Amino acid sequence: MKRLVDANPVGLGRRSRQIFDEAWRKFSELGQISRTTRTNDESSLLIQEGGPMCEFAIPGAQNTTVLVVGATSRVGRIVVRKLMLRGYSVKALVRNADEEVVAMLPTSVKIVIGDVGDPATLRVAVEGCSKIIYCATARSSITVDLNRVDYQGVYNLSKAFQDYNNKLAQLRAGKSSKSKLLLAKFKSADSLNGWEVRKGTYFQDAVAAKYDGGMDAKFEYSENGDAVFSGYVFTRGGYVELSTKLSLPLGSTLDRYEGLILSIGGNGRSYVVILESGPSGDTSQSSLYFSRISTKVGFCRVRVPFSSFRPVNPADPPLDPFLVHTLTIRFEPRRQRPSEGAVGGSQDLRSFQMILEYIKALPTGQETDFILVSCTGSGIESSRRESVLRAKKAGEDSLRRSGLGYTIIRPGPLMEEPGGQRALIFDQGNRISQGISCADVADICVKALHDSTARNKSFDVCYEYVAEPGKELYELVAHLPDKANNYLTPALSALEKNT
Amino acid sequence: MASTTLHSRLSHTQSPAVTRSSSSLRQITGNSLTWSRAFAPDRLLSAVSQSSLRVVGGSVKPLITCAAGTEPVAAANLAPGTPVRPTSIMVIGATGTLGRQVVRRALDEGYDVRCLVRPRPAPADFLRDWGATVVNGDLTKPETIPATLVGVHTIIDCATGRPEEPIKTVDWEGKVALIQCAKAMGIQKYVFFSIHNCDKHPEVPLMEIKYCTEKFLKDTGINHVVIRLCGFMQGLIGQYAVPILEEKSVWGTDAPTRIAYMDTQDIARLTFIAIRSEKVNGKLLTFAGPRAWTTQEVITLCERLAGQDANVTTVPVSVLKFTRQLTRCFEWTNDVADRLAFSEILTSDTVFSVPMNETYQLLGVDQKDIITLEKYLQDYFTNILKKLKDLKAQSKQSDFYI
Repeated sequence: MKRLVDANPVGLGRRSRQIFDEAWRKFSELGQISRTTRTNDESSLLIQEGGPMCEFAIPGAQNTTVLVVGATSRVGRIVVRKLMLRGYSVKALVRNADEEVVAMLPTSVKIVIGDVGDPATLRVAVEGCSKIIYCATARSSITVDLNRVDYQGVYNLSKAFQDYNNKLAQLRAGKSSKSKLLLAKFKSADSLNGWEVRKGTYFQDAVAAKYDGGMDAKFEYSENGDAVFSGYVFTRGGYVELSTKLSLPLGSTLDRYEGLILSIGGNGRSYVVILESGPSGDTSQSSLYFSRISTKVGFCRVRVPFSSFRPVNPADPPLDPFLVHTLTIRFEPRRQRPSEGAVGGSQDLRSFQMILEYIKALPTGQETDFILVSCTGSGIESSRRESVLRAKKAGEDSLRRSGLGYTIIRPGPLMEEPGGQRALIFDQGNRISQGISCADVADICVKALHDSTARNKSFDVCYEYVAEPGKELYELVAHLPDKANNYLTPALSALEKNT
Repeated sequence: MASTTLHSRLSHTQSPAVTRSSSSLRQITGNSLTWSRAFAPDRLLSAVSQSSLRVVGGSVKPLITCAAGTEPVAAANLAPGTPVRPTSIMVIGATGTLGRQVVRRALDEGYDVRCLVRPRPAPADFLRDWGATVVNGDLTKPETIPATLVGVHTIIDCATGRPEEPIKTVDWEGKVALIQCAKAMGIQKYVFFSIHNCDKHPEVPLMEIKYCTEKFLKDTGINHVVIRLCGFMQGLIGQYAVPILEEKSVWGTDAPTRIAYMDTQDIARLTFIAIRSEKVNGKLLTFAGPRAWTTQEVITLCERLAGQDANVTTVPVSVLKFTRQLTRCFEWTNDVADRLAFSEILTSDTVFSVPMNETYQLLGVDQKDIITLEKYLQDYFTNILKKLKDLKAQSKQSDFYI
């Protein structure tokens, strides 16, 4: 019976036809030159859609979800495409998903409806994301709009992202590697224990000390729940300081952190933060490192990266955060500038008041978590420029203080032209004068995602230009975007960190 | 759309000085292109001779005339609307081997890419997934073209008819309609991919069509770049690499023809440099890989990289040629015959390659950025062998659990 089925003429015919077709296909392929045959899909995966043979493929992109805010903006549109080509999973935050918007985005982009001005919607948006690229910008220069998108938007999103990271970490019963470490929080009278007020002078001048007004300082818990460090220094060369031995929670060391963040209020004086490092048993071998911070009138948060600390004795090695055991905040009347704003006509720069809220350590990391496309301000009408820049600056600052790894890109005026054609200049300090194509900005965003040199940097970028003779401010270092070279790493490694 | 109807006439006569045979007279009248085929014994000879093109019945005019170019069709931009952005491009043939690389490259460089694809039940999702816009249109139906070209600055044409369809509907009639439409709608640049040496082999229908299209494009006066290509490395994977890995038989010929294969990603990259360069306008560029290879050499290379011997079936070129002659005898096998036409070239000792130094210089490209076939195939085999190993390891593990 089986034999009979096998000998079924229809089956035989079909089989022989298959064999013949296969042979014929091969045969006719022989004569082809420029036409390629369609390979079966499994093997073509390797050379085509995002496989390792594709020039765009990035290892690890598959496991990375990027949230793009402002996905329909000029830069955002290209960012989304570039991410898709490289095999990332992309989430796009849009205000409303009407047909026009959806048609603009690639089909497998996950669209999240939300508004950066509304923190509740952002909680949903950041879920499952490991990186954020923020290319949204206010559509008008009305202050409300600017504040909502350029400042509050960045703040809300970085906060939502941090909350999400913490939530994830709690699920794993641990701390998020991106969360800040609390060093001190001044919320009760007890929390002041361990802090010590000291006085001193830089030089022993017996005559001067006799005739000046002296100095005094106290650190106390006020009735309305503030920890206040206040006093005055009239002595020439004198200073007062507030110092404590750091007691870190078990298992954490400061080398996993890259800076301090202080939430302080007061009358806008500048202070010197001093870290004492060395073997904790023997303080005589400690060396001192200092960094100057300035505050505003009222409350503000100040970010002090460890890299900004300089040794008091120039012969000492650079600060090793692992060995830090003592933290000191010092006030000295030298180099104080009158604070802005109405504090009263007669400011005595030798008196100070500082309300301490908390001191935290900022975590380190390898890569950037949050890429913000800001602007340099050139190309904006002068009437609007200031208000735009103020909002952008506030947004940048809130990102720097969030504890996330950040990259702030300030491009020159954006131009709608293809990218990768002209050399780029990376610079810090608001000196650039040229425009840049949206595609190049998008390319920098995408490259910065996995570039350790991009972490915690702010930089300006524009097309290469030739300075007029005699007006060269600095040596221009240009980097040509190309397939073969990764231009971003060398360009950024020359720039300052923590800016 | 009236502007897309064709009034072009084309005929192809061989130069009388060399052969007086009128056997290969090809003519296009109205909307059709016809070839009268004959088995001229001196076919090879005529291939060498430069063929000249004349208008049938006309005086000595260029053979191909474009209706849009000669008639006062509304070719100028009438409305002072918004200027078209130079970043907006249209890719024809975007689902093909080269087309998809062109689309990818374009998207990565920040272009807004529109792809003309034929309406079909399973749409080209991968294009939309990368962020390109897909519009439905069919070159064989000229009325579907104009609407898709609105707002386009540059057209990049990487289309070639599929092997299973008659060559002339897409490659000739469709292209003529498209070019005329582009002209009429004021498209600012047209990039056309052709085949290397296509002017030297009029006996191969596809090459003949490509050559005629080049001429036609030039005659319309549209701002254009013609890029002639030799062979794609990607094609070798399916033809040789996969069969070797699967231990199936590999079919090769004993032809001495050498082809300088090139990676389509490199082609796409160079293409965009060429598009943006003003120096290249109206020029004819030829892109060739770093070295020309024979079929045998490619198979040997694959064998070495795969670490296993190929089961090669060598088909003598004469058999191919014979088959072609045979298939041409019947009306229903004419398409097959067209496809086998390349065998005519294979017998000749042609080298499909061209020195690239000038092109590199013109485009400002470094030669070492162009991938070689050895490197390409090596990458492929390293990746695929690793993947196969992973798969094997996985299957072993599942065995363990059973």
